[in-house]
Amino acid sequence: MKNQLHRIDLEMFEGPLDLLLFLIKRDELNIYDIPIAQITKDFLEYVDLAKELKLHSAGDFVLMAATLMKIKARMLLPIEANGDEEIEDPRTELMNMLLEYKRYKEATATFSEMERFERPHYYNIPATWSPQQEDNTAILEDVKLYDIMLTFQYLIKNYEEPVTHSVAVEEVTLSEQIGFLNGLLQANAKLSFAGLLEKFESRLVVVVTFLAILEMLRNRQVKVKQSKLFDDLLISRGKTFGN
Amino acid sequence: MEINELKQIVEALLIATPEPLTEARFNTCLGDSSSRIPLGEVISELSSDYEKSDRAFFIKEVAGGYQIVTNAQFEPFIKGLFSKSGKLRLSQAALETLAIVSYKQPVTRNDIESIRGVSSDSSLRTLLDRKLLEIRGREDGPGRALLYRTSTEFLQYFGLNSVKDLPRLREVEDILAEDQDELV
Repeated sequence: MKNQLHRIDLEMFEGPLDLLLFLIKRDELNIYDIPIAQITKDFLEYVDLAKELKLHSAGDFVLMAATLMKIKARMLLPIEANGDEEIEDPRTELMNMLLEYKRYKEATATFSEMERFERPHYYNIPATWSPQQEDNTAILEDVKLYDIMLTFQYLIKNYEEPVTHSVAVEEVTLSEQIGFLNGLLQANAKLSFAGLLEKFESRLVVVVTFLAILEMLRNRQVKVKQSKLFDDLLISRGKTFGN
Repeated sequence: MEINELKQIVEALLIATPEPLTEARFNTCLGDSSSRIPLGEVISELSSDYEKSDRAFFIKEVAGGYQIVTNAQFEPFIKGLFSKSGKLRLSQAALETLAIVSYKQPVTRNDIESIRGVSSDSSLRTLLDRKLLEIRGREDGPGRALLYRTSTEFLQYFGLNSVKDLPRLREVEDILAEDQDELV
């Protein structure tokens, strides 16, 4: 099998486009007229490998595999002659992407060459301290947006408290619950606290309602009776109720 | 001012400058004692002096200015000055990203990724950390994505005077023509 012979390290490739260019070159395919079925088959083999290796770019390979299969499917569909309208080859977009990527890949080789050429030359790198930096404004002179972002990220990291669980904010306020109790007491002479609890779904609402009762008690808007310790609370209208 | 005195001043500036010495900076440094001799002329005088006297360095025109750089043959010794073995090379992914930014700047991360077909977050981070790229504002469109540009350090790193000195990016037509030739 050809592919077995050409098993190559997937990490060598910079991404799915790089791999496709490799396959095209290896099999001397025409980039203008890519045999989609063949290249899809070869590509999928590598994608399986990428998934196995848990490559961090595996997702990009899978996405390309889906694109290839879509193109393949569209090429199998009979072409409906639609008047004079020219039907676009389903491979056109892929071809353009490959050509564009190829341009930059070539440029990358040039950059690599320039890097190799410049590497042995050293120049004076400014020291961390220089006379100008005694002036505070000078320190700020060369700060880039990225430096600020980094600093912020660093600071915020130290600032963050470890979050073990999150709490959804429930919108319930003391005055809301006072209003709620007022309404109930207008309709009923007596309220059972235990009976109220059954209506509430969250602890917070229970707590706030209890605080509301205490507040109303303080203002003598309600009276509260309890027959014995831990027994139900009976709430009724107080002297200033309704004021 | 005499040329010899100017040569000395320029030499001192080249040694002390934290970035390539530009004509404008040179004039600022001279202040009132304006030289009347353009920096380029003084530089070429200095350069020929260095050449004649077999120095270990030369003056390089880079990023729109001048700086002193060492000759390549001393690299093995200079490496000893640094804890890491000389300069670190950029990864293929970082070079690809850099190539795209340098030709298409200003670009967003999305522009880069749609050409490379692969996520480019970590390459961008490396390049920003090494100050070869910088963030220059945001795009106007929806999302207000960050825009990336190459920096002065980029020009220094690749020994370029300006982005205009980059080799021409081949046109798609050229590549196609060549591919056709290969097939024939």
